Amino acid sequence: MNRLWQERLIRASLGVITLTACLLLVFILATVLWKGFPALKISFLFEESRDFGKSGGIFYQALGTLLLMAGAVLLCLPVALGSVLFQTEFLNSASIKKFLRLLIYSLNGVPTIIFGLVGYLFFGLLLDTGVSWVTGALILAVMILPTLHVSIQEAVETIPLAYREAGLALGLTPWQLIRAVIVPQSVYGIVTGTLLGLARAAGETAAIMFTATAFSGVRLPESWSDPVPTLQTHILILAQEALSPQALTNAWGAGLVLLALVFILISATLLIRTRLPMESER
Amino acid sequence: MINRLLRISHDKGWVFWVTGAAALVSTGAVVTLFLYLLKESFPIIQAQGGSFLIGPDWVVGEVYGAAPMILGSVLVTTLALVLVLPFALGTALFTSEFLGPRWRLGVKSMMELLAGVPGILYGLLGVALLTVWVRDVFGLIDGNTLFTAGVLLAVMILPTIMTLSEDALRAVPREFRETAWSLGLTRWETVTGVVLPQALPGICGAVFLGLGRAMGETIAVMLVIGGLDRIPDPWYNLFSSGQSIPSKLGREAAEALGTGLHWHALMGLGCVLFMLVMAMTFTGHLLLPRQKS
Repeated sequence: MNRLWQERLIRASLGVITLTACLLLVFILATVLWKGFPALKISFLFEESRDFGKSGGIFYQALGTLLLMAGAVLLCLPVALGSVLFQTEFLNSASIKKFLRLLIYSLNGVPTIIFGLVGYLFFGLLLDTGVSWVTGALILAVMILPTLHVSIQEAVETIPLAYREAGLALGLTPWQLIRAVIVPQSVYGIVTGTLLGLARAAGETAAIMFTATAFSGVRLPESWSDPVPTLQTHILILAQEALSPQALTNAWGAGLVLLALVFILISATLLIRTRLPMESER
Repeated sequence: MINRLLRISHDKGWVFWVTGAAALVSTGAVVTLFLYLLKESFPIIQAQGGSFLIGPDWVVGEVYGAAPMILGSVLVTTLALVLVLPFALGTALFTSEFLGPRWRLGVKSMMELLAGVPGILYGLLGVALLTVWVRDVFGLIDGNTLFTAGVLLAVMILPTIMTLSEDALRAVPREFRETAWSLGLTRWETVTGVVLPQALPGICGAVFLGLGRAMGETIAVMLVIGGLDRIPDPWYNLFSSGQSIPSKLGREAAEALGTGLHWHALMGLGCVLFMLVMAMTFTGHLLLPRQKS
């Protein structure tokens, strides 16, 4: 076999492998759509669930998921932003910066169930928030910290030195510099980090299933110490215990809604990421 | 001393203190997590010593042995790796070496989306489809096996390994490829002769990070692994039900919440898992190509 044919053969087989990998996504999408579509009606989105998920909709579950996502990002964003700014604006030692980066990054590898376990001990027991949506939001906030941190830090560190120097030459104080130069110039990192963080929080089940959620009998939290129903745990319970096909269909319906939510967030991130470099090249 | 560490030594102002507090909170969270895991798993080591790690039985209230879970985790992770490697590397090679920029962006975006599919949906797909397929194809009584979990994990870590190894391949400078081409090598010869040797450490790093992710995955594995705390017979029998560390944690955390030796035993398991995953994550990070900063 000559070299050209070998080349063609290998190219073709690698192409087939790549196509298979991409078809995997199509398969997952198609399955969720096909199975979930029968459940999906307007009323499914705006009704509460009844008969342990067998009938009714997922209104409060969806609200619970959104609540936890929003809570996590609201708690995480100021801390991540502040932490990045401290490291880029005030910290001068390269080795300490490297160490802090490693520390934050190692958080990215921690299995999410461990956030649930330790988070419950620290927030639930020590700070006495119990099994509640506040505990869940706090745990998710810690979980998405590396996502936001890395994204923001990369954006801040790629700001050209000249911008910074121009600000300093005008005699700006650190706060003025942050407000007028650093934050506006790194806003895309803040936005993409936030979107990715939201997507991660929306897709997470293990960390919140025994720390923040309840399956039935709860709607919106009325106090700080109430658990909420969420889409993720709703699917989990239905997938484990569903005997009736209707309940399983509702689980797929909830899955479809969750998947749509996550995909919208990720697609927005991808769009922003591919658009903005072009803009900076001008 | 302090002045040398900080960029601005005079007039720190409130911004310094506020951002400093945020930095303290974020690093404090990491340190607290590590310390808590160690502290909370101490009682079970005290109570059972080394037999906690190698004991084959886990009976709540009597004895806690982590061996089945540790073995289960190792088995499913290894299987996932074996299954995913040809796909992940093939896709990475094709995308980085043979595809044009637009197609490349398309494939990478698809991988990005695939990485974002929530674990619970993989679990649902596993429960509704994969367990049934595995049961029918291999003629089993129960489709909830270590094998099923391994297959599911392979799909879940595909985007991680693919994306990171593709980055490692792209990090090889273009001049190297052009030199090889100008010598008359075909694209594939360039890949095996020039690009792969250069990118190999990075690809290994990607594999380690993928392994770490597979080992820590909870919810999908928990739904399809069968939940049997026994060492398979024989020990490598993938077609029996089993248990991985995270699936054990996921199943029992709610019962044992917060107190008692059972809880400490679970935290001990968590600590073992944590150390395994951290070892892989750090190895992976050491091997990944440094991004230019």
